[in-house]
Amino acid sequence: MSAFFRSREAMLIVMVISFLIVFIPYFFNVPALEEFSTTWITIAAIVNAFTLVLAVYSQFRRGIYFIRTGKRAWGFKLWMLIGIILMIIFATMGMEKGPYSWAMQAIITPLSSVNYGILAFYLSSTCARAFRARNLKAFALLVAGFIVLFYQAPLTGAIIPGIEPVARYFTETFAMAFARVFAISVTLGAIVFGIRVLLGKEPMVLGFTREER
Amino acid sequence: MSSPLFTIPGIIEGRFLGLLLNVILVLLVIYYMREGRLPYMRRVAGLDAIEEAVGRSAEMGRPVVCSYGIAWDGFDYWTVAALAVLGYVARLCARTGTRLIVPTGGSDGSLIVRPVAVETVRTAYLLEGKEEEFDEKDLPFLSGQQYAYTGGYIGILQRARPGAVIMLGSHYSEAMNITETANAVGALTITTGCYASNLACLACASDYILIGEEGTAAGAYLSEDPAQRASFRAQDIYKWIALAFLILGLIAINAGSDFFVRLLAT
Amino acid sequence: MSEERNIFRMLAEIDRRIIYLLLFIVVTVPILRPIAMPLAVSPDTKQYYKVLNSLGPDDTVLFVLDTEFSGYMEIQSGVLASARLIIEKGAKMAIACSHPEATGIPPMMFSYLRDVMEKYDYKYGEDYVVLGYIFPNEAAVASSAQDFHGVVKEDWRGRPIKGTFLDGIHDWKDWSLIAIFSTGVRSDAFIRHYGLRGTPMVINCIGVMIPTTKPYVDTGIFKALLPSMRGGAELEKLINAPGPGLAAMDCFTFGHYLVIFFIIIANIGYFGYVRRRAER
Repeated sequence: MSAFFRSREAMLIVMVISFLIVFIPYFFNVPALEEFSTTWITIAAIVNAFTLVLAVYSQFRRGIYFIRTGKRAWGFKLWMLIGIILMIIFATMGMEKGPYSWAMQAIITPLSSVNYGILAFYLSSTCARAFRARNLKAFALLVAGFIVLFYQAPLTGAIIPGIEPVARYFTETFAMAFARVFAISVTLGAIVFGIRVLLGKEPMVLGFTREER
Repeated sequence: MSSPLFTIPGIIEGRFLGLLLNVILVLLVIYYMREGRLPYMRRVAGLDAIEEAVGRSAEMGRPVVCSYGIAWDGFDYWTVAALAVLGYVARLCARTGTRLIVPTGGSDGSLIVRPVAVETVRTAYLLEGKEEEFDEKDLPFLSGQQYAYTGGYIGILQRARPGAVIMLGSHYSEAMNITETANAVGALTITTGCYASNLACLACASDYILIGEEGTAAGAYLSEDPAQRASFRAQDIYKWIALAFLILGLIAINAGSDFFVRLLAT
Repeated sequence: MSEERNIFRMLAEIDRRIIYLLLFIVVTVPILRPIAMPLAVSPDTKQYYKVLNSLGPDDTVLFVLDTEFSGYMEIQSGVLASARLIIEKGAKMAIACSHPEATGIPPMMFSYLRDVMEKYDYKYGEDYVVLGYIFPNEAAVASSAQDFHGVVKEDWRGRPIKGTFLDGIHDWKDWSLIAIFSTGVRSDAFIRHYGLRGTPMVINCIGVMIPTTKPYVDTGIFKALLPSMRGGAELEKLINAPGPGLAAMDCFTFGHYLVIFFIIIANIGYFGYVRRRAER
């Protein structure tokens, strides 16, 4: 019995049933299935919450291993564990005001924003390194990129109004056309990939290798 | 929104054409997989470069860093496709005796995916007869938060100085940080562009890029299984259908007819 | 034999650290010493303003914070300016989040907008409700579109929403507008379950999402698109409420010009050194 539940066939059956539960209510009016999907949301939210608990456990396990063995930079791991414990305590003291709210606004927000802002630095070094007119295609890309970048600077639009139609032409024809083509291509690839998975032709998905199939 | 050409009782309005196209696509894929005839496939430079990347790292005595994305929605198609390629990379690394580091994390959903990734890599090492070289600590869970994961990933790159960085699956805004750092440490970078807005930056920053469906087709491409590869033919047919719709729709709209708009809204 | 060191080689192989330092200076100085450079308002922002300006006291807006904290800084100006305009028009607002980090944004928002809320007597429960993190996945968005009260029964403090203006909201048809402030977390789910059914929607998204979001504006799924921080700054200018967006436009401009400068000098270095070396 347990061998059946570990087999490829059992996994595929579960996968096909899950697929039909999502697929059918999307296209057909089936009130009973719609109600069932509401229950699924609750289950998914609980599973999601449970993974957070697992994540915290995993971090503690790894962190304690680092600290116990005195590995390089173990102090950062200790600081991380102290941060996790403090945030859990703060959260129990109320989330709207108090230390939790302060931590979110004074520490988490600036740190998250800084990480995102660092992208600008990486982008600028990438532009300097890679935006070179090596051939005709690269030159065309360079010219288009130059015009769009120039237009994106707010001052340019104010002092050179004529650049707006050219820059918008690039973003609203070429860039948008590419985005649409990309969406079509990715969607088709994803659907066909999904069909291969449901037919059992992607053994890696189930954790099997070709040899084990 | 345009009104549909017709509605069918029982089917939600505006979704009949989508249902029909999905069903036909499933039948086409099954037909071509049964037929088993291998379609012509162009070389995908990014996928062919994986072996080169692992070989380069082996020669330099440096590790390979391979990630399957941040798995934002858990087992989405990008992540699943990336896991298939992760198995392939793991086997190459085991065969050449190269250390493989797989940073995991980036979202809450990534924790559900991690055990599968661990098993995939462990199985790859087992199949190469090198199970003792597998170390679960080389698949560290960095964080469930995107930018904390990015910080950890960049730290790994700067300390380990890999010979190759293979970024598969769904990477979003952190992809730029990681590829630029990989470039700064001298690693050969292969990335998947799953997010259209990232593509331009990744194309500049990385050495090889898999665009769009190349990422989802990677597992089938590398497996060399005729049945898997035959399914690409169905994709190509649908691309021709999309092109036909585009051209005919363009002509119809300019002629003053909204037939195709209404057809697509059916 | 050592290779020549010349100006072209320096430009071609410019050190990353110099780039980072110059960018840091160019972005920091205008924040410390603002210049207030002129700003033209784009047609996209004018259209966005037109949609929000047409709201009235009988309208109910679903204000979706589809963002984490990291990306929020880019759309913060749009969020604050849009919320201010909605309050001034007297429309009702239900604030929902599709990422746990976004739950920290409403208190910051209302703290910033306290003066305009007092001026227009904008009260909790009568004019606005904060629903919290109610969209953890696409299934939640889909279910809320079909049966709102089946999915959402309480606000973020656990108080029942029965008795508020949300009694009149049953499904996708009942919203006057859905305003999405997105860094790409769950915006596509709203398109599929609300937009395609005809619920009016507008979006304020980060810069990298603009090419992928523009097609939906063209097809009418989104009535308007407010592009990134610049759009937020333009909206602040339109409603005459300077805020974080306008304050950032100087460094925005200088940052862009610096990147253009680096591209130019890198190409000069490329043609003067790298190409010549390859030809030799």
